[in-house]
Amino acid sequence: MTGQSPPGPRPARPDAVRRPAPADLGEAVARAAREGLLVVQPRMGMAAPEAMAAGLRAVCSLPHPTVGTLTLDSYTRVGDHGLARAALAAGEPLNGFPLVAHGPHTTARVAAAAGERPVQVRHGSALPRDIFRTMVAAGLSASEGGPVSYCLPYGRTPLAESVANWRAATAEFAGLSAERGLRAHLETFGGCLLGQLCPPSLLVAVSLLEALFFAQQGVTSVSLSYAQQTDARQDVEALAALRMLADEWLPPGVDRHLVLYTYMGVFPGSPRGAQLLMDRSAELAVRGGAQRLIVKTPVEAVRLPTVEENVAALRSAARAARRRTRGDGPVPYVSEVDPGEVLAEARALVEATMELHADVGAALTRAFAAGLLDVPFCLHEDNRGLTQAAVDGEGRLRWTRTGRLPLPRRTVPRPAPVTAARLLQMLRYTADRHDLLALEAADDPDWAGLSGSGPAARPPGAGRQEPYRIAVVGTGPRGLSVLERLAARLAERSAPRPVEVYAIDAHEVGPGRVWRTGQPRWSMMNTVCGEVTIYSGPPDGGPARAGAGPSLYEWWRDTDPEAAAPDVCAPRAVYGQYLAHALDRIERTVPDEVLRLHRLRRTVRTLAREDGHYVLALDDGRRLCADRVVLTTGHPLPRLTRDQQELASFAEQRPRLTYVRGDSAIDMPLDGIAPDSVVGVIGLGLSFYDVVAALTTGRGGRFVPAAGGALRYEASGREPLLVAGARSGVPLRARGRNQKGPQHVYRPRLFTRERVRALRRRGPLDFRADVLPWLLAEVELVRCATALQRAYGPDIAERFRHEAEEAVREGAAGAGPWEEGRGPQETVFGAAVRCGLRGHGPVDLRRWAWPFGDRVFSGPEAYQEELAALLRRDVELAAEGNAEGPVKACLDTIRDVRGVLRAAVDFSGLAPRSHREDFLGDFVPMVSRLTTGPPLVRLRQLLALLDCGLLRVQGPDARFAADPVSGRFQVHSPRVAGSRTELDVLVDARIPDPDLRRADGDLAARLRDEGLLTAYVNRGPDGSEFATGGVAVTGSPFHPVRADGRPEKGVYVLGIPSEFTRWFTQVGSGRPGVWGEFAADADAIAEDALHGAHEGTPATPLPGVLLGPRWHATLSAPDKERDH
Amino acid sequence: MRTVAQRDGGRRRVLLSTVSSDAHTWNLVFLRMLLEEMGHEVVGLGPCVPDRLLLDTVRRTRPDLLVISTVNGHGRLDGARVIRALRADPVVRDVPAVIGGKLGVDGDEGAAAARALVDAGFDAVFTDTADTALIGRILGALPQRAPEGRTV
Repeated sequence: MTGQSPPGPRPARPDAVRRPAPADLGEAVARAAREGLLVVQPRMGMAAPEAMAAGLRAVCSLPHPTVGTLTLDSYTRVGDHGLARAALAAGEPLNGFPLVAHGPHTTARVAAAAGERPVQVRHGSALPRDIFRTMVAAGLSASEGGPVSYCLPYGRTPLAESVANWRAATAEFAGLSAERGLRAHLETFGGCLLGQLCPPSLLVAVSLLEALFFAQQGVTSVSLSYAQQTDARQDVEALAALRMLADEWLPPGVDRHLVLYTYMGVFPGSPRGAQLLMDRSAELAVRGGAQRLIVKTPVEAVRLPTVEENVAALRSAARAARRRTRGDGPVPYVSEVDPGEVLAEARALVEATMELHADVGAALTRAFAAGLLDVPFCLHEDNRGLTQAAVDGEGRLRWTRTGRLPLPRRTVPRPAPVTAARLLQMLRYTADRHDLLALEAADDPDWAGLSGSGPAARPPGAGRQEPYRIAVVGTGPRGLSVLERLAARLAERSAPRPVEVYAIDAHEVGPGRVWRTGQPRWSMMNTVCGEVTIYSGPPDGGPARAGAGPSLYEWWRDTDPEAAAPDVCAPRAVYGQYLAHALDRIERTVPDEVLRLHRLRRTVRTLAREDGHYVLALDDGRRLCADRVVLTTGHPLPRLTRDQQELASFAEQRPRLTYVRGDSAIDMPLDGIAPDSVVGVIGLGLSFYDVVAALTTGRGGRFVPAAGGALRYEASGREPLLVAGARSGVPLRARGRNQKGPQHVYRPRLFTRERVRALRRRGPLDFRADVLPWLLAEVELVRCATALQRAYGPDIAERFRHEAEEAVREGAAGAGPWEEGRGPQETVFGAAVRCGLRGHGPVDLRRWAWPFGDRVFSGPEAYQEELAALLRRDVELAAEGNAEGPVKACLDTIRDVRGVLRAAVDFSGLAPRSHREDFLGDFVPMVSRLTTGPPLVRLRQLLALLDCGLLRVQGPDARFAADPVSGRFQVHSPRVAGSRTELDVLVDARIPDPDLRRADGDLAARLRDEGLLTAYVNRGPDGSEFATGGVAVTGSPFHPVRADGRPEKGVYVLGIPSEFTRWFTQVGSGRPGVWGEFAADADAIAEDALHGAHEGTPATPLPGVLLGPRWHATLSAPDKERDH
Repeated sequence: MRTVAQRDGGRRRVLLSTVSSDAHTWNLVFLRMLLEEMGHEVVGLGPCVPDRLLLDTVRRTRPDLLVISTVNGHGRLDGARVIRALRADPVVRDVPAVIGGKLGVDGDEGAAAARALVDAGFDAVFTDTADTALIGRILGALPQRAPEGRTV
């Protein structure tokens, strides 16, 4: 609109309308404030007088203080009263009350419905003269707007013209009102401007300047607006600053109050999210010191709200306001904040503007021309557009570019400039945040997730397109990790097609078999709960969701604060509950239209490729069609080896004997073992600890504290006698007490990825010659540094690290191989001795792993005594900690550099012979017994069991056998005299290695027979081979390699089945705060699996775009990138 | 008056506008950022652009592509009117033009509105469901124009 307002009808004389005028708005608000009540007010406008009157009546008969509103229609807003009359005459709908067209008489009749309550006219017009004239004639004297705020955000009226219009209209409004004995009231709209993404200091400044503008034209009652923004604390600061500046600048005779607008930007899509945001705004009004609140209804973005919806919003705001007058809440009180930053900025803006001209209107025009006032993201020609703002990491609105704004100098770093993608995010920030917060608060199981409504959240074309389906077969931690990354990626960027994920597990969807929630409490994890997470990112203050969720400890602490501590191991069932909870959270991360999760507690029988899809046959006969299939099937149960089968057959023929095959302990049939029987346990690893727990605490016994931190076992009497043995003769050693924070990341100095990469470029490695020396050097470095730090302090330890690194660098720079006995480990140790290390020899993993060497023992008692002493010593070492204790710290390093080891070993990094003999045959068993052990409390328990005689450990090289002569199993150690023991039960406490070759009757077996899965063979360039039972997979994203040697690109295999192709796949969790391989592997699969969902369908390469004839030929060809 | 830089390689000049009745601007702010991030030059006309101003600006700036974004639901009517005027202009009738946003008042009207707008003369219509980033594909597929430098 350009040009002056057309000359309107002269206002009817004041006496033309004789009805009593509604109450004075300023006075009514002041009265409510004295009673401690917040005045609430809707935005409400209907075209028909009767409907408008009914609306006013409903609002003004509410028991708490309200202000009635007449919101005008668009035609009246732009001065097209003729069009408004025509629409009325034709009975066409209008989006508000056409006040000028109805005229003063009708308007007065309508306003009378408000009774004793004040009525405000809301219009949004840059040309308010006609409106003001008509409303005063109708006895109404309260309105709103402003020369800046009703100009810059809308249309193209030049600012100078808007100022002139408003100057004349406001002065006339004040005069006409006074003539009728009314007090004109105007509310600024300057505290809103574009509604979103304007730093509060500018909102405060413009709101105040508009109030000064009104006062200068003779208006003696004003309200200063402020619209709720992104951060409650910053909003309270802004309200405080607005109050202080109003008191400083407004003439003393001008009545004033603060009015808050409920958030004006994109509203939450979910009813609960919307309600939460509305409640927050009422709380903000009360605590920030606003006296009036303009509420919003959640439907406003979509359509005009009904009277009932408006009334409901008013009731709920009044209720929230009463609730929040005292007590706690997320919004601080005005007395608790320091308005410093907002106040200083706003004051500087106001002062710089007011210096430009004595007339506020002229000053405003000049300030915008000079860029002293400059609204971010505002496209109006009279706005300089040199500023920009963003939501910072804490949710506050901050300047990213200040242009020519006269802001005080500041030291806080600014957020990064805004990109298009970030802009979309920020526009939805408040909506999404409250939707998610509401989800967290909601415990209604029917709650279906967010109904996002913006460009970022809604999948284009959802519901009209064939969904994209991903099946995840097996949902323990690995399957869940892929689900988590799928959801996190879709939350960031939805696909053009809806994605359906089928989470399939025969045991329990989420926890899977090993972590199922119903298992007994004696079944304990071996990693402390503070180091365990399934989420790929740490919690960020928002609700738990894919990409940002609590660690096991953080979750456990909230559900069972008595039991949870970061350094204890949780029962496996608790981890299962956490995984189940995480799956719920992941499901709710993204709206159903973006990602729909189906849980199927079923077994997958077969998987076949048909017409470019995969068809999965389930055990209930259903067939499931999927675009991608993720196989995360966990621990397999391969057919028994020949030796094992012989033992099993031996027991089958003899009713008194029992053979229990290797499996996870909770799935072993141990209940039938009689208390008076003698049970042989094969293996002294983690599964051994589980079997021991099942047959001791699992049978009612308990450990009680004894002297010196030790434990004593109180038997239940239902325990059998346990006789355990293994080649080493020594149970797995304890891990050091954890002293590393959850975010601990070890950065290797000598055994680095760079070094490994360089080595691998030469071809297949010899583990013993190429890799192990560097690993040992790293271990030695940590051992010596820890010991030196203990002895002499951190600066000596640091000097040693430097010297050692230097010496190794020099040694490596020399020509030819390292001299015998002068390799990297020896060089490091030499540096330690030079730095003052005393009393230690070099690290000797082999001796630590096999502490008894070739010794022979005179009898079982002698051996048990030595073993107990060794275990007690291990408990002491573990108690020293994994950072401060030199032994456990250097062993923990081997865990820390597992990733580097994988880089050397995985995908045929080692020559076949070295892979088989040096690595898997020698190194892995050696370090497993030292580094993969349980927490130290399990060793204390073991000692108590040895002490009470319920457990006996056979000596080194224990041999279990079936004795046809006695008809029983037996075990003996050739190195312990008189150790032969007869057994009734034999429990194989070794988790079987995955072996595709021996897979039997399950999905893996069928896929092997069909050639979709193959067993991995490490083939050397010299033709040598090492055949393993692991599933052969490609590098990331881990497609299985088919029998024809090609990858199956719609399928992924992750976790234990792919052991041997990769190393140490039995990891069941990520580390909190660390983006490690666990998350990275899952993410690579999620990314690849979603590619297909992001592709256009062949028929429309530009989905959602309709092309005209000129472009049809060139742009509608299928996308080349689809081919892969 | 300002000098428009030489056009090079894949850099295009885009005239970004809305229709006469539409006062929404966040869509325009977003599109300007998106197009500039893709490396294109953007001439923006702000909200509530009268038909005459739009045609004059097309004549003056000779854009490689006219992009009209509108979300107030009047795009079907206002957009059809302005594209007919453009296609009737003897000087700039061949300028490629696309429109997108929320084009009809009723959500179901998307497809019908898109068809009507293509029939009226738009080369492509981005319905509510289209990914805005596809505008990059369209710009990339436009035929090269001879480099030029001039004052506007």
